[in-house]
Amino acid sequence: MTTATFDMPVGAQKPSSTAGIAVALLLPIALVNAIGFILPVFNLARMSFNEALPGGGIAEAFTAANWTGLLQDSFYIELILNSIMVSLGITFATLLASYPIALYLHRASGAWRTFLTVLVISPLLTSAVVRTYGWIALLAEQGPVANVIAAMGFQPPRMMFNTTGVVIGLTEILMPYMILSLMAGFGRLDPKVEEAARTLGATPFRTFWRVILPLTLPGIALGCLLCFVLAISSFITLKLMGGGRVFLLATEIYDQAIVTLNWPLAATLSMLVLIIFGAALAVYSRVLRMIEG
Amino acid sequence: MFARLSIAVSALIIAAISSASAETVTLTAYSGIFQEHYTKAVIEPFMKKYPDITVQFYGMPNSAQMLGTLRAQKSSPQIDVAILDVSVAKAGTDEGLFDKVDESVSANVKDLYPNAHAEGVAGVGVTFDNLVIIYNTDQVKAAPTSWDALWDKQYEGKVIIQAAPDIQGTTFTIISNKLAGGGDYKTDVSAGIAKIGELAPGVQTWDPKPDVYAPIANGQAALGIGWNARAQIYSETSGGKLGVALPEEGSGFQINTINLVKNAPAGDAAKKFIDYALSPEAQAAFTSEMFYAPTNSKTVIAQDALKRTAADDMDKMIDIDWLAVAKVRDGITEQWRRRIIPLSR
Repeated sequence: MTTATFDMPVGAQKPSSTAGIAVALLLPIALVNAIGFILPVFNLARMSFNEALPGGGIAEAFTAANWTGLLQDSFYIELILNSIMVSLGITFATLLASYPIALYLHRASGAWRTFLTVLVISPLLTSAVVRTYGWIALLAEQGPVANVIAAMGFQPPRMMFNTTGVVIGLTEILMPYMILSLMAGFGRLDPKVEEAARTLGATPFRTFWRVILPLTLPGIALGCLLCFVLAISSFITLKLMGGGRVFLLATEIYDQAIVTLNWPLAATLSMLVLIIFGAALAVYSRVLRMIEG
Repeated sequence: MFARLSIAVSALIIAAISSASAETVTLTAYSGIFQEHYTKAVIEPFMKKYPDITVQFYGMPNSAQMLGTLRAQKSSPQIDVAILDVSVAKAGTDEGLFDKVDESVSANVKDLYPNAHAEGVAGVGVTFDNLVIIYNTDQVKAAPTSWDALWDKQYEGKVIIQAAPDIQGTTFTIISNKLAGGGDYKTDVSAGIAKIGELAPGVQTWDPKPDVYAPIANGQAALGIGWNARAQIYSETSGGKLGVALPEEGSGFQINTINLVKNAPAGDAAKKFIDYALSPEAQAAFTSEMFYAPTNSKTVIAQDALKRTAADDMDKMIDIDWLAVAKVRDGITEQWRRRIIPLSR
């Protein structure tokens, strides 16, 4: 991703005509984006300055009340911090669970590798709703997981309708994205370098810590960015497994927009998510520059 | 391939022409079982009575989504009639989305119960529903007679409640406030909030999916609260696994209103439909079909269907002023989030 450079065939470099073609090629997608994305975002931004009337009405206005109210309310500050912390936790758990798989896949070859890659991607063919229901069945009070824990002589903890359930469910759902991003970023990892480290007397752990990990950092950064963004904006799993106890940004936006009909507040929260995305992206490019250093 | 395509295209054109010649009324209301039963009890008989009018049912999962759609179509409405919750209808009226439904639209308006008229709402009540206790008949042997059953330690971890801001949670707050001996719900529900707070640690989920009825019917939960009409239907479809009880302390009403969309394309046909929906005939048919209590006082209903509505227990019902509640609803939601739900973590 980072070092991907696009090499133009030498014969095709006629600057004036290629610029025209580039504009012609970019125009359709630019138009679609302008109508389908930029315009709605501006609408949303405008809506966040409207005034919400009790009972769900909206008054056209230009007030910062939604923004100041949000940032002064301890409930919302906790909600925002909680959303970021839970999403970071999910990202970290996904990374831990995915890294060994990605590394193994990177080293596999031939038909075996193709088979395993298909296996990794296959969950994406099933909707997140179905997979979440699968987790609900597994983690339920009398479910298989609770039974195994009980059989081992422990009191099974509550794994459903709380943050634990949300973290478990989302971690599994986001793993394919993480594995694919990691594999995409593993390009610099050459088996010869590992072999060299081992021949020069490094222990397996030292080889991993000083050679493999630094070389795979771009993949880790990409996977973490993607999973963080997906985790903080994920809605279905949170809605189904949160039991109404886990207040995070995505469900709060839903509640405000669909249940309480406070569109201005919902718009403000949505803009806030967009700001968090921007911040995540800034951190990502910062980290990348450090790695490339 | 081409032959088949041309047949399909001509079929579409024919369909388009024939629907253009007859009048079409587009109705939006709740999707799912409401749509199923309303179509059977009201829309099909209406179309039989007025063969040149076609009613299209555009189902949406909740009132808020209907309001959102009506807002988006304000400059060129595609929907003629909307059946939605009274507090959402108030917001729509305030935004100028609806025309007034009065005696010029339907002569039946004068026969409606006083509760069916809400000040500042353009539409009128078309169904009454009330909150009930729902229970799994395998786990709860005797039908609960009091709301206190929810607080019974025996069912700890097996109670499901749809929290505020959903109106189930809001209605439950008002009922609990009365149980706890609190004062006027319009000014202070803190007694009710404290009472629900005692229940909180034993609540399994505050956001049951897909709704409150399924987890009770399949035994994932033992007790909960729900709306009578839907619960009555699910008690039949679950083969008796889901039980319905109207507690002796009474309950609170939810009101669905029928509203005429401003500049509705169907014009008089839309008014004809509203008139029919409010008629004793349609009201009786829908009550026997789905057990919503009728809003028209002239409605005559079979005794067995009537027993499954709250119509016999009118005197025990808390008269909830939904428009006043709309003003304090944000405050109630806030107390749920700060003083109830954290107790269940």
